[in-house]
Amino acid sequence: MKRWLLWFALAPQTFLLAGMLRDLGLPRFDFGALACLYLAFFAQRPALPWLLLGFAAGRCLVDAASLPVQLLVLGIPVGVLLPLRALFFGQNWLALLGAAALCAAAIPRLAALCGSLFGQPSMTAVIDLGSMLWTTLLVPPLLWVLRALPPFAQFEERA
Amino acid sequence: MRKRSEAFPVGLYGMLLFALCWLTLPAVFAPLERLLLGATCIVPRLAAQFLGAPVQAATNTPVATPAALLARIAEHDLRAPVSLQATGLVPLHCAVIATGKNGGGGQVAELLLDHSYAELAGCSELVTKGDMLLGTLATRGRGPAALDAPDDPARVLLLNHGASRPQYAAMRTADGGALRFVVRAAASVDPAPLRVDLWDDPYRAARLQRAGDPVFTIDLPELPWVPPAGLRLGSSRIWGYPGEADGAPVLLGVFVDPGIEARALSHVVLWRAAAAIAPGQRAAGLEGLHGIKRLPGVLHDLPGVSNGRHLLVVEGAVAPTAAVVHEGRLLGSANGLAFGAALMTSFTASRQRWSLLLLPDDPAAPPRELTAVVVHTEGDVVWLRWRGGERERLPNGELFTGSNGRHCPAGLRVGRAGPHATELDLLEVTVPQASGPFAVEVLDGGGP
Repeated sequence: MKRWLLWFALAPQTFLLAGMLRDLGLPRFDFGALACLYLAFFAQRPALPWLLLGFAAGRCLVDAASLPVQLLVLGIPVGVLLPLRALFFGQNWLALLGAAALCAAAIPRLAALCGSLFGQPSMTAVIDLGSMLWTTLLVPPLLWVLRALPPFAQFEERA
Repeated sequence: MRKRSEAFPVGLYGMLLFALCWLTLPAVFAPLERLLLGATCIVPRLAAQFLGAPVQAATNTPVATPAALLARIAEHDLRAPVSLQATGLVPLHCAVIATGKNGGGGQVAELLLDHSYAELAGCSELVTKGDMLLGTLATRGRGPAALDAPDDPARVLLLNHGASRPQYAAMRTADGGALRFVVRAAASVDPAPLRVDLWDDPYRAARLQRAGDPVFTIDLPELPWVPPAGLRLGSSRIWGYPGEADGAPVLLGVFVDPGIEARALSHVVLWRAAAAIAPGQRAAGLEGLHGIKRLPGVLHDLPGVSNGRHLLVVEGAVAPTAAVVHEGRLLGSANGLAFGAALMTSFTASRQRWSLLLLPDDPAAPPRELTAVVVHTEGDVVWLRWRGGERERLPNGELFTGSNGRHCPAGLRVGRAGPHATELDLLEVTVPQASGPFAVEVLDGGGP
């Protein structure tokens, strides 16, 4: 119970933390990609839907689209990447770089698609090559750091 | 069993399915979303307590629609043709608070006004703008207004609405003659909102080659419900195949393009007998934000302010897509959450299509009603891709909101606007930016 309280209190705020890092001078990157990678490769499977809900609520803080749209935007890449966990378990840097690039490209497109389908245009639907590059480069090391911290550490699946 | 759940994560796919149901029935799940996001905002709200006090208190002065804008709109909207003025009817200027279903040409076909059916009792069914006939006032209890109550906002059926009555019209042809016909709502897939039917001379009509001729109503004295002659319906648009080198073009149909974007309409004119105006009743209807409540609130920046998202702490419930205003200037639109919080998306970061009013600096120029989407932001400057009316170089002027729903009325100042140097469909707007926290007002137009 304690870990869930911690999750819903802290995990959504990580999207604001990423904004704060950007205000401090870190290059623009998509924190949604980091959330997708954590869920797809490291999080406990039974807890996935509720962990996703926490991240989706966090993404609502930085994007105008509604909560169910955020669930789809983050959840679809997780659904696609999840079967790859059997091949790339753990902090496999190369696999994470590839998956981060995939998420960096897919998330804005999914946001644009959901925005046009459900009439909720999203400010994150813009394809920005610089942001995609920095997402690919920054997400794996940031994920390595976050995995060691609560509440992420408490939900990590052990081999 | 474990292997099966690993291969097919039921919980994750169940959550995605739930999200689709949520999007299908948003009203059912809205309280859940407000609660969850309201709880999520508690942490940034606590943090905001330590990030300074608002620079000023909310005032109780009315959020006035700038008088110059109202005067210019009225000056141009009330310019009716002589035939309509001769009827002895008095114009009543009404603001549009929302647009409804789409109709002919896939364009908006219904408007909701800031006046109720009860307030418009005794009005003629004509709805105009300048010399243009836009549509008719719906009759409460019939057709699309069958379930409307007397206190509900009055509904206008534009001419491209399927339930609108066909209009008798005419246009001058290149040979100096005139063609008479009936204009009715087109299908939603048609290239224009109105289509032409029942020509008085089908042979001449089949040889039409020139588009863009103005189409006007004609008088039929034997039919009392026909509008006065001379009201403009739009201009002709010819649909067909271009002719071969030695042959005439093949005409498939003639449509009428009103030349306005209905989604951009912010004000319309109704007509009623002078005797029907009771003492104390709103005669002109132009007193600005009629029936709009204002909630005081404090706006805080969220980290990563370039996202254009802000936390709003407000006393009371915030309606969906409510306008957030600071000293009469639009800051953005907010969605209410639980626990007295709301999240605001600033105008500069929004990606929705806005209905806007451009008040040109030239005092003789009419205000332009247009819709636009923010395509790029750089500091205080935003670039909007606009549409509405003729594609031409827009003049310099002041940009205001048009009608953007019940909670975001027309007349809120956005910023200084001017045309883009090279692209005709881009508008460059300077929107002053300020970092929070500061006091704001959240508008609430009532209703759903």
